[in-house]
Amino acid sequence: MRNLRYLLYIAILIVLLTLPIYTGVYLLNVMDMILIYLALALSWDMLVRSGQISFGMAGLFGVGGYAAALLHLNAGVNPIFSIVLGGLAAGVLAWLIGMAVLQLRGMYFAIVTLALAEIFRLIVRNLPDLTGGPEGTVLPSSIFAGNSTKTYWLVLTVAAVSVMASEIFRRTRIHFALTSIRNDEIVAKSSGIDVFKYLVFIFVITSAIQGIAGGAYAHIYGFVSPEGSFSVDFTLLPIAMALLGGMHSTWGPVVGALLLGVASEFLKLKIPYGHLLVYGLIIVITILFFPQGIVGTIGQKLKKTHTA
Amino acid sequence: MAILKTENLTRLFGGLAAVNHVNMEFRENEILGIIGPNGAGKTTFINVIAGIYLPTEGKIFFNGQDISELQAHKRCRLGIGRTFQLVRPLQGLSLHENVMVGSLFGKGLSQREARKKAEELCEFLGLSDITRDITRMTALEIKKMEIAHALATQPKLLFLDEVMAGLNSDETMEMIDLVRKIHSQGVTIGIVEHVMRVIRELTDRVVVLDWGEVIAEGPYAEVSNDPRVITAYLGEEA
Amino acid sequence: MNVFGKLKQSNYQIAIISVILAIILAAWKPHVLVEGIQRACLYAVIALPMALILGIVGIINLAHGDFMMLGAYFAYFLNVYTGMDPLVAIFPALLAFFLIGIATYRAIIKYVLGAPELNQLLLTFGLAMVMEQLANLLWTSRPIKLPLKYVSASATFGSFTFGTFEFVYIGAAIIVLTGLLLFLKRTSTGQAALAVGQNPRGAKLVGIHVDRTYLLIFSLSIALVGAIGAIFMTRHSIFPLVGAPFTMKSFCLIAMAGIGNLTGILWCSLILGLAENFVLSFRGYAGWADLLFFALIVLVIMIRSRQRQVK
Repeated sequence: MRNLRYLLYIAILIVLLTLPIYTGVYLLNVMDMILIYLALALSWDMLVRSGQISFGMAGLFGVGGYAAALLHLNAGVNPIFSIVLGGLAAGVLAWLIGMAVLQLRGMYFAIVTLALAEIFRLIVRNLPDLTGGPEGTVLPSSIFAGNSTKTYWLVLTVAAVSVMASEIFRRTRIHFALTSIRNDEIVAKSSGIDVFKYLVFIFVITSAIQGIAGGAYAHIYGFVSPEGSFSVDFTLLPIAMALLGGMHSTWGPVVGALLLGVASEFLKLKIPYGHLLVYGLIIVITILFFPQGIVGTIGQKLKKTHTA
Repeated sequence: MAILKTENLTRLFGGLAAVNHVNMEFRENEILGIIGPNGAGKTTFINVIAGIYLPTEGKIFFNGQDISELQAHKRCRLGIGRTFQLVRPLQGLSLHENVMVGSLFGKGLSQREARKKAEELCEFLGLSDITRDITRMTALEIKKMEIAHALATQPKLLFLDEVMAGLNSDETMEMIDLVRKIHSQGVTIGIVEHVMRVIRELTDRVVVLDWGEVIAEGPYAEVSNDPRVITAYLGEEA
Repeated sequence: MNVFGKLKQSNYQIAIISVILAIILAAWKPHVLVEGIQRACLYAVIALPMALILGIVGIINLAHGDFMMLGAYFAYFLNVYTGMDPLVAIFPALLAFFLIGIATYRAIIKYVLGAPELNQLLLTFGLAMVMEQLANLLWTSRPIKLPLKYVSASATFGSFTFGTFEFVYIGAAIIVLTGLLLFLKRTSTGQAALAVGQNPRGAKLVGIHVDRTYLLIFSLSIALVGAIGAIFMTRHSIFPLVGAPFTMKSFCLIAMAGIGNLTGILWCSLILGLAENFVLSFRGYAGWADLLFFALIVLVIMIRSRQRQVK
């Protein structure tokens, strides 16, 4: 049984890697966006597993984007390296914020993250000398000179990193720590878990992933701006994806990202201004009617038939 | 030799002293009973020792080390374990995994070692043939899982907070035997109980709390006849 | 008794700070003082209903500011189709949004009351998004404004002029605050609501109808914030996202004052209103004024974080 699963994974990986061979530029670009959102959705879910919600993904995504773009532009840093540094910047920022704020949890933390995106956007907006102000900054060229295959592989790597991180969080003792903290912090503490340290750790790692995704996005589109890089899209859509697909798992956000990613392409064509509304509705409906998401609900149904 | 000593331990909530200048000693390898009427501060006392609350005044010494300001998870790693009155099994984890949490973090074992230890503990407590989901376990089984979880951290001092609550006569006898088994492994035990039979059979000494203060101390036979204790439980003579 | 003592202390401290600030400003930049107070009362009157829901029903309504936005559009269309003055529209708004509150509670909020806090946050977040996007679809993002004559009324005092219409906000804040305090402390329904807020299970045991209380408080809050939207509409141009920042700012005020401290919200909003206007008065720093609130909320939560560390 296990061998079959590994074969399946390898097959999927091969298909994904060789996608550029038999698909056109349009599809690759669609996949680019889906994969970036997938990374964001996974990183959001990883934090949720600890019981905390972040509404600040757009903030860290934008910080990573600006860091990567500005480092490349002003310091001549190699694009790929600048993306990594973008992730680092986001991670460091998250560390500072986490250390300051994570003694409080739940809604206080969530509201702080909500403020984050706004704060970073405003700071960036108000420092035109450094960041190009409200109009943003254009990069001299897109990464890889716009070669869609290489761009795709870059994004695939980012997504793969987030999938790996998610799986590491599922298979190592981190899984136990997160689940305990999520269930009951006092029990977790009494079991020897340093709750604060773990929460800061999770927040930093997930923020770094968001920063890397932001850096990749900035280089692919060759452009950073306060409204574009910190757009609420980057918070709203990943949350909808993770919820729809099913929280607390790797497959959940992946399924959600694929479904919503494909759907959003259609939506953008049919209802050019309504797609954000749909995502909001998805969040509301999912929370009300099937908070486990698709993967979660299927998982529960399977469990029930097994133990009948 | 005192494994745990509290000096003038006080914990205030607003103006209320839930733990009021308590001086208590746990001698190594004894079973100490902690009794008192409802609201006397027994669980709060455990919470302060375990580090869930920091003391407002006073000190706690564990094996001679001052742990009064130490964080809860560090106290756990030093060897203080406890169970919870209202058992909340960790959802999303299986029975063994629930127990493993204690080993992984309280003792720092690897996953494989922790799994083995969890299996050993479950057998020790009579939980090994349970394959059901934790949501389908009986009250007794969940309580045993609680204890297994606490034991997984390999405590030197273990607090059992009303583990007998809600058990019938047979189950209580089983639990008493279990506590004796744990004790025979060299664990010092502090047991909070309302069921006096358990206290009478298990404990070497008893401490009585009322309104956060120690009002009596000694073997059960003495304490149960102490007029102050009787008044605390039953109220004044009219 | 001791708890009340502490509470009064923090209120006193905040009150003293704001009074000192006020005196300094009166001498240095008087129009900052006046405008700051006016703006502060606007923030306060929006924050108070949110505090009500948070304190009693126990959930945070991330769509709070968006209900205000809806109230503003409601008053606008009422004016366009019936010529009703927005200040008069407060009354139909109160009614309409009370009903909207009932509907929202019954259809949506009720279901997540028992769920983990995560679900509540996500639900109201989704709701906020839906409301904003719906407004965007229906009415586009183009800002609209009513050309009302009386909003530009002003008075001159010595060498400086200030708007007098904005005193409406001060009036509204005082009315809402005293109204709520009277309701909660003097009426039996209000006292029941306080009881439910402190201990829902206990309240149920003594026969208080918890669900009905939640329904009432939630709808009352929505009604208030919808009516405030009508007032807001008179002086500001509105657009779908106009309400969102107020959600954040309201939460900031509640976090500063502490949950359950309604009077404290007024004092805290004074400090923030004055500070914001102060920054705005320096040319070229307009962009930073908005940041102030957000930075403050992070600061406040940091401080509370430290306090929490003492367990």
